[in-house]
Amino acid sequence: MFTTPRLVAIALCAALNFAIGNIVYLIKLPIYLDSIGTILCALMIFPDRRAALVCASIAGAIGVVLSGLVVNPYLPWFMFSMLAIALVSALLTANATETFRARPMQPISFAGKVALYGVITGIASAVVSAPVVVYLFGGVTGSGTAFVVAFFLKTGQQLLNSALLSGLTTEPIDKTLQVLLAALLYRATPGEFLAMLRPAQPAA
Amino acid sequence: MTPNGAVFVCLGVIAGALIAGNTTSLAALLVIALVLAFGSRQRVTTALFWSALIVLPLAGFMSLVWVGIVGRAPHEIATGAEGSRAAAASYVALVCLRLFIIALAIQATFLHFAGWTPLRFVGGLRAPPTVKRLLTLTLSLIETMTQAVDRARTALITAGIITRGRSLRNLRNGWLLVQTVWLTAITIVIARTRDKWTIEDTLARLDTAVAGNLRFSTEDLAWIGVAAFGIALAIGMR
Repeated sequence: MFTTPRLVAIALCAALNFAIGNIVYLIKLPIYLDSIGTILCALMIFPDRRAALVCASIAGAIGVVLSGLVVNPYLPWFMFSMLAIALVSALLTANATETFRARPMQPISFAGKVALYGVITGIASAVVSAPVVVYLFGGVTGSGTAFVVAFFLKTGQQLLNSALLSGLTTEPIDKTLQVLLAALLYRATPGEFLAMLRPAQPAA
Repeated sequence: MTPNGAVFVCLGVIAGALIAGNTTSLAALLVIALVLAFGSRQRVTTALFWSALIVLPLAGFMSLVWVGIVGRAPHEIATGAEGSRAAAASYVALVCLRLFIIALAIQATFLHFAGWTPLRFVGGLRAPPTVKRLLTLTLSLIETMTQAVDRARTALITAGIITRGRSLRNLRNGWLLVQTVWLTAITIVIARTRDKWTIEDTLARLDTAVAGNLRFSTEDLAWIGVAAFGIALAIGMR
């Protein structure tokens, strides 16, 4: 499963997760984009679904641990969210690889699949993140979503419900953007590199 | 302390902070994190400042939401009690103290390895060779990507495609920077794996460079004992 090109792909995607945080900071974008490498890793290693799941999970895990050590010490707590994203990417999003690389691009099919898988990834991420957001951060993570949590608390919801509802309101948008960017990067990835990631075919 | 001991001690202090349910046990864990920091015999002010810098914006946000907007603590909401801003403030203090200890534990552990290169740290870890290879490759590619980000950003700003500050143009064209960085990195990686690494036998040399598992030292065991005491204290005082 772990051929040298696949190890390189994992490292590359983990590094991308780390570097994109830097890009978001440098050009001051109001979004996170911290899982693009994880989604992209699953897309690149598909159709070997098991390898796609394992490699995407490892890329996501290394990304959050390294970002946690250097940038934000609380990111590793979202490790399970990253694993959920890897799971959805390998089992569902990767089914759209042909659409994502189709030339010429089929805009309606492309946009439809990005939206569908983005929303599913967002829901999975929100469900898994909610307990961490509640226990570690008291429901408030320092982003604009805190006000959504506050709104739900004011309406009489319990903390876990408020964090979950807040996540379900905002995560699908963020994750749809991430799936879109991952699909565009996958589309731009040279076929030569993707061929290196395929398992060696036995000689006929 | 060896890298293996550092991983255990750091995780131990963090586990203690997560288990601790009141300010007294958190204060005890804060003392342990401070002892860990001072035990490195390095300047601890940077570690304290960095940890505070991470927690302060969160503390501000939490205070605004919990004390300013909601006005009562979660346990009061759960029981349907009217609640008070004082209870909300106390809850915010507890969460922030826990977050501060987690940040400080990581920084304090780092202080013990001031002057070490990442390669030396990875080499000292007791881990399978594949894991060490993966960590080293990732660290190397992060460097490659960081340089690619700098170059691509400068080029795109010069071309007027993105701007230095916050702008609509960045929202519209920011993905071009991501794509440029990705293509730069992947082109470099293709060339390395296909030609350079094969000719130079880089991966075999890398395995040799990070080979060797440091055993736990007496100092490691002492620090692990301190962290275990912190966990026991947190459990006992819950």
